[in-house]
Amino acid sequence: MLGDLLPNLDVIVTIVLRGTAVGALFAIVAMSFNIVHNAAGIFNFAQGSIFLLGAFGAFVLADRAGFGLWLPMLVLVALAVGALTALQGWITLLPLRSSVEQDSWLISTVAVSVIIAASLTLAFGSQGNMVQGPLPRYTIIGVRTPGAFLLAIGAMFAWYVALRWFLRRTFTGLAISALSQDFDAARAAGIPVRRLQLLAFGVSGVVAGSVGFMVAPMISVSPDAGLRYVLNGFVAAVVGGIGNNTGTLIGGPLVGVIAALTAFYVGGAYQDLASLLVLVLILMFLPQGLFGRAAARKV
Amino acid sequence: MAAAVLPGPAADRPLRGSFNSDRQQVAIGTCLILLTGLAPSLLGNSYWEHAFQLVNIYIAVAVLQNLLFVDAGQKSFGQGAILGLGAYGLAIASGLNGMPLAAGLLAGVLAAAAGGLLFAMPALRVQGFHLGFVTMSAAIVFPQLLNQLDWFTRGLNGISMTIPALQTRPFAGISWLTLLVTAVPVVALLAHYALRQAPLGRRMRIAAESPEAARSLGIRPGIMRSLAFVLASVGTGICGLLYVPAVGFISPQGFLIELSFVFFFAVVVGGRGQLLGPIVGIWIVFILPTVFLVKLVEYKPLVYGLMTLAVVILFPDGVVGTFETWRRRRRQGGGGERGFRLEAVTRLFSALPDVPSADVGAAPVLTVRGATKRFGQVVALDGVDFDVRPGEIHGLVGANGSGKTSLLNVISGLSRLDAGRYQLRGRDMTRLAAAAIAEQGLGRTFQTPRVFQSYSVWNNLQMGLDARPAAPDPALAAALAALRDDHAEDSPSLLSHGQRRILEVVRVVLKDPSIVLFDEPAAGLSSVEREEFAALVRQLARKLGKAVVLVEHDLDLVWGIADRITVLETGRVVASGAPADLARDPAVQHLFVGGAHA
Repeated sequence: MLGDLLPNLDVIVTIVLRGTAVGALFAIVAMSFNIVHNAAGIFNFAQGSIFLLGAFGAFVLADRAGFGLWLPMLVLVALAVGALTALQGWITLLPLRSSVEQDSWLISTVAVSVIIAASLTLAFGSQGNMVQGPLPRYTIIGVRTPGAFLLAIGAMFAWYVALRWFLRRTFTGLAISALSQDFDAARAAGIPVRRLQLLAFGVSGVVAGSVGFMVAPMISVSPDAGLRYVLNGFVAAVVGGIGNNTGTLIGGPLVGVIAALTAFYVGGAYQDLASLLVLVLILMFLPQGLFGRAAARKV
Repeated sequence: MAAAVLPGPAADRPLRGSFNSDRQQVAIGTCLILLTGLAPSLLGNSYWEHAFQLVNIYIAVAVLQNLLFVDAGQKSFGQGAILGLGAYGLAIASGLNGMPLAAGLLAGVLAAAAGGLLFAMPALRVQGFHLGFVTMSAAIVFPQLLNQLDWFTRGLNGISMTIPALQTRPFAGISWLTLLVTAVPVVALLAHYALRQAPLGRRMRIAAESPEAARSLGIRPGIMRSLAFVLASVGTGICGLLYVPAVGFISPQGFLIELSFVFFFAVVVGGRGQLLGPIVGIWIVFILPTVFLVKLVEYKPLVYGLMTLAVVILFPDGVVGTFETWRRRRRQGGGGERGFRLEAVTRLFSALPDVPSADVGAAPVLTVRGATKRFGQVVALDGVDFDVRPGEIHGLVGANGSGKTSLLNVISGLSRLDAGRYQLRGRDMTRLAAAAIAEQGLGRTFQTPRVFQSYSVWNNLQMGLDARPAAPDPALAAALAALRDDHAEDSPSLLSHGQRRILEVVRVVLKDPSIVLFDEPAAGLSSVEREEFAALVRQLARKLGKAVVLVEHDLDLVWGIADRITVLETGRVVASGAPADLARDPAVQHLFVGGAHA
């Protein structure tokens, strides 16, 4: 009995590799959640669709132009998605300027998510598309692994280090970090709050869009796929502790491996159910996540 | 004495219209539903008959979504899945497995309630966007599961089921089915209205808007959130039961996440919190694209996404809400400094006999021993001993950061002691939650008054009565009736800061606690309001025998009305005693600028 449940080494390596690679994408989405959350107190429900925009960028550009221009196109798509996300941020922050209503972002970001998915469906149809990648397959511990898997894991660490440097070592990044402590104090200190929040939206778009472009070969590039990444990215953010980028390095791969295990033992269609159960359990028993700080009480 | 500082009757304040238009909106909404539900059958138009059967089911779901969203403050993106659970419960039990209809109906409601419980469990611990993601995830997963469990649900093939008995037409060409699907949204609308008038509805709203104020009134916010999810889910499940005969066929494609978004967007477009909102919202979000984009089905999600975004940015109050805001603006304004008048109550209190002085200074109602509270390295409270007796006004003073508010928060249960213990009326409260302590007879106010704009001034006071353990005696009830007549239609948004404070104070008094904690009550009060407040506090102690703890920076006020004063410094008690003695205490002198009061 036990022998049936314990698969051979190849299967274990496959599950861990695939889980970590897919989980790295969840971690990336979680990081881009955190950037906006820390700077504006907003959780961008459209982050999954924004990630997907990068992948569609690869579908439109990279497949046709060949891989010689892969790097410049990556930069172009990342910046374009970043600009679009900053525009979304501007729209999202508009009602917050005047009104006492603080929930409107929840509605407008969900609406934008629906708009992006609907526009992609109109432009490309609702089926999934395949995209070729520049990297070949590699053999790791005897398992043939798509290059995009390694790209995904590499991008997670690269963006983690880059964001850490930006938020801790540059003046602008420090100012954005200061926003997460206290908006009013930041404004009183002469920090241009609104501009920095837009920048945070833009950076989150560059992060998600660039990785979407790079990993397009390993995902199903279909308009409704964004929901899967927004859901699992949120679970990764909650597991790691909301606002904590270091936590996403564990949270993302953990959620990815759980999904891969579910796919192997139960069936691919149950992966999102597994993530939902992880989310409910974490929120019930460990609402601050594995690495989050307890929020101070407000009275 | 007290009566002297209270000015006479205020000038007349002509007001047009009522505080809100809930009653009118229910009436209009009911007419619209009856008209659209019944007229197509009367005219024999089967296309519109069928169309409005579905529309009215959706309206009922949106009404419940409105209740959940605004009255209970819960953002759910998963109500479409709950509707599906109700429908599938019935169709699987009775349609596929041939169980009796009653069993199928029960199965549908139970399935929906179970889905609601899945949402409600995390709601006990977390709120806000967390629940948004949980419910959205559930709405994503639900159709996936329906597809996957095809041995049970028939997967993509779906289930056909009709209930022939409902197709008979007993009156004027109107079928039982049409009657039922017309009645359900009307009942949902009336239930929503009734809930708003009831203490339960007020409790949900307080829990949603100010959890700490809720707990100080003995309300458990997690329970309120979960209850709201379960109530809305059972109602939505009933809508799911009717969906089956109305459509005749169910499949996973009918319950994709887009459906959940339709309900949510309908509430926003129609006007969040407006009773008529979900009706107008479903018409705009669901009917308009269905009619005008009939050839361009694939544009529908784009259209309602753009519509919602435009509404959020341009008319954040939604269609009905924009009209309501305009109507409220046309009402004539407030009563200036006399906008909130409580002579009826103060007159009643001042007519009461004094509490016998023998009872004053009896056994302490509150005893705190060795209270210690740390925040990381900072010691906010460092072994504080503190007693308050019935009928005593106890001032708590000290510089900013000396631990006054920390002590109040510990006593009211909003934060936990690291060491030490405390008793209220002889019972140990150290480990109890805030709501339980409030039920044991503690009341408090907050530095920023917790006044709820969506309720009238009188409703705001009623929140205190809702939390009162026993019904008010006849004399108080009569005084309250006078207050109600004055303020049932008044909007708290027209009250000054000081009047809001007084309002909060009266609310706590109506809760009838044995000890009341005031956190900087005089900040921002005018001199008249300050006198009014002082008179009210004196009445509380002298006439009603309450113990009062007063945290206040206005030392004149404290020295003027307190019986005893405790001075805190960096979390320690440095002096405690009668005001006259304390004013000469060197430990206290530096609190007074220039020592002018010594």
